[in-house]
Amino acid sequence: MTQLILYNTFNGLIIGTFYVLMALGLSLILNLSGVINFAHGGFLAVGGYLAYTLSPYIGFWAALIAAPLLTACIGIAIERTLIRRLYGRDPLYSLLLTFGLAFIFEDMTRAIWGAQGLPFTPPSFLTQPISPDFFFITYYRLFMMAVVGIVVLGLFLFLRYTRLGVRIRAGTLDLETVSALGVNVRALRTMNFAVGIFLAGLAGVLAGGNLSLEPTMGANVLMPSFVAIIVGGVGSLHGTLFGGLLIGVASGLTTVWFPSASEAVIYVIMAVVLLVRPRGLMGEEGIMS
Amino acid sequence: MSQNINCRIVRRRQVLQAGAAIGALQFAAPFIIQARGETPIKIGMVDPLTGAYAAVARSEVEGAKLAVQEINGKGGITGRPIELLVEDSANDTGTGVQKTRKLIERDGVSFIIGDVNSGVALAIAQVTNEKKILHVVPGGHSDAITGSDCHWNVFRVCNSTVMDGNAIADVLMEKFGKKWYFLTPDYAYGHSVQAALVKKLEAKGGKWEGALAPIGTPDYSSYLIKAKSYGPDVLINVMGAGDQVNSIKQYVQFGLAKQMPMGGTLFELESVLALPDDARAGWWTYEWYWNQPKVPQAAKFVADIKKQTNQIATARHWFGYVSIHSIALAANQAKSVDSVAVAHALEDMKLPPEVGLIQNTAYFRKGDHQLMSDVFVGQAHGAKGNPDDLFEVTDVVPGEKAAGPVEQSGCKLTYPA
Repeated sequence: MTQLILYNTFNGLIIGTFYVLMALGLSLILNLSGVINFAHGGFLAVGGYLAYTLSPYIGFWAALIAAPLLTACIGIAIERTLIRRLYGRDPLYSLLLTFGLAFIFEDMTRAIWGAQGLPFTPPSFLTQPISPDFFFITYYRLFMMAVVGIVVLGLFLFLRYTRLGVRIRAGTLDLETVSALGVNVRALRTMNFAVGIFLAGLAGVLAGGNLSLEPTMGANVLMPSFVAIIVGGVGSLHGTLFGGLLIGVASGLTTVWFPSASEAVIYVIMAVVLLVRPRGLMGEEGIMS
Repeated sequence: MSQNINCRIVRRRQVLQAGAAIGALQFAAPFIIQARGETPIKIGMVDPLTGAYAAVARSEVEGAKLAVQEINGKGGITGRPIELLVEDSANDTGTGVQKTRKLIERDGVSFIIGDVNSGVALAIAQVTNEKKILHVVPGGHSDAITGSDCHWNVFRVCNSTVMDGNAIADVLMEKFGKKWYFLTPDYAYGHSVQAALVKKLEAKGGKWEGALAPIGTPDYSSYLIKAKSYGPDVLINVMGAGDQVNSIKQYVQFGLAKQMPMGGTLFELESVLALPDDARAGWWTYEWYWNQPKVPQAAKFVADIKKQTNQIATARHWFGYVSIHSIALAANQAKSVDSVAVAHALEDMKLPPEVGLIQNTAYFRKGDHQLMSDVFVGQAHGAKGNPDDLFEVTDVVPGEKAAGPVEQSGCKLTYPA
């Protein structure tokens, strides 16, 4: 039994890192622009499909970089034409817009690549477990954790030490003053959105190796990512990181005793957090009130 | 004098204008065409064209379209062409019911086909039963459709979960052993398959454990950890569509294929195609398979589907195809489109080989309206030459043998007076 619990805890951490990747992208966009991006799952799917299309020509590793970049470009286009018009309004507007976008993405990926699931495989040396006992730790999952680790580290360094990153952080706290200080807020928001979508595209490529590549693949990963943000605390990236890992472990552990509740448990945690500490475990007071 | 000339000019112009108007109306107004007596017979098809089951639903629609083309080429039903109206149920019961009502009340369809999702199919059956419209379920598997919730107007093409379970249970026990672990989706279909298999297993003294996974679970590692620690002789994967693809992909990536063999009932060709080659394994039942050298008519069907869709023909294409052809054959035999007459004609009607496309003769059993068709038991494998031939059939079980006696189905049919 202890072995089962240990295995599932470790496994939960692995699952959690994936949620962290999605949730960080969502969190970035939410913090600065106040946009609840329901289309994040759609961008994930687009990222995965682009990698599938590109990898026969440029290989898996190049596609790992190229597909998220392309997805980010699509994100920039969408931000400039559609989302930009809704800044400053009730968050409900942008929620409805991105909700509609999610459906559009699903149908477009279905129209372009077909409803049939597509076989996307990472290089075969990755898709093997490190040992028969620890079969659930494949090199691919370790690779995924490594990528997420690098990304998280990179993101935090970016936000702390680069000019753009500092401006984004400042903008999260007080966008008006940042604008008054002469920073081009429009470009700032666009770049911030692009970074968030880059993370979604990257998550899509990584997910394609683990899940079947189909138009609805983003939908199942999106809700846990939102829960991770709420549990960790809206407005806090550290909170999002912690929230993602927490729900991953919770989900993994619940499978030991109540497998059919493994999805429900993350919502139960969200409900408890909202009741006991509405700002989230590490969130700041007053955001999204 | 001038007045007379004016009158004539006006009268001629009026005649010319009237003639032009009548000519234009011939193309514009549909009711005028109807009055000519060539009204098409409308068949409504409700399937989840968007959502998780989109791939298999679209295959069913393509199969139906091919059948409509063939029938119209031979004169249609009682001399009238068929018009197929397809609506999207989006995997949602409310939407499915709403679309069915629209098809029946507004569009005036004579027959209904649908849905892939058993829950939606059952809900739609309530509507069609209320409206006394013949309803063929091409691909919804829950036993209740031809069991406890059967209706006189509902017929089903695909196998019930009991048929699939009965066909393969003995094979799995012989090949692997009697200690099984179930990975089951937590909804009606999953519970139904597991119950059918468990019944056969326990009758022979087997042991089992299982885990119910919510539909849409992306990561199966924790379930596979549990399975591995139980140490079964075979892992029974009951998951459907995308979930099955995900769980098998991960099962193979974890190297479990060498440690724990896999089997179950359905592993549809659409799902096999979505997996990389090394993940195409295990022992399964197919409700129809395209590669049947002993059935020459199947090759023509496969070629037609390839031409129409650029895809290999799957059981789902066949479901849609059989649904439409069955309705046409029964209506032509009854010489009527009245649902009661057609339903009576369809019972026990033997499908001709170019429709059945199987070795034995397919027919809808009178007691429960379940199609008795062959169940193909065999092993999935990677591509060896033909990239579409991914299943090796070891056993063909006739439908009646797999289904068991009709008295056990729990179905009681009562026709309207």
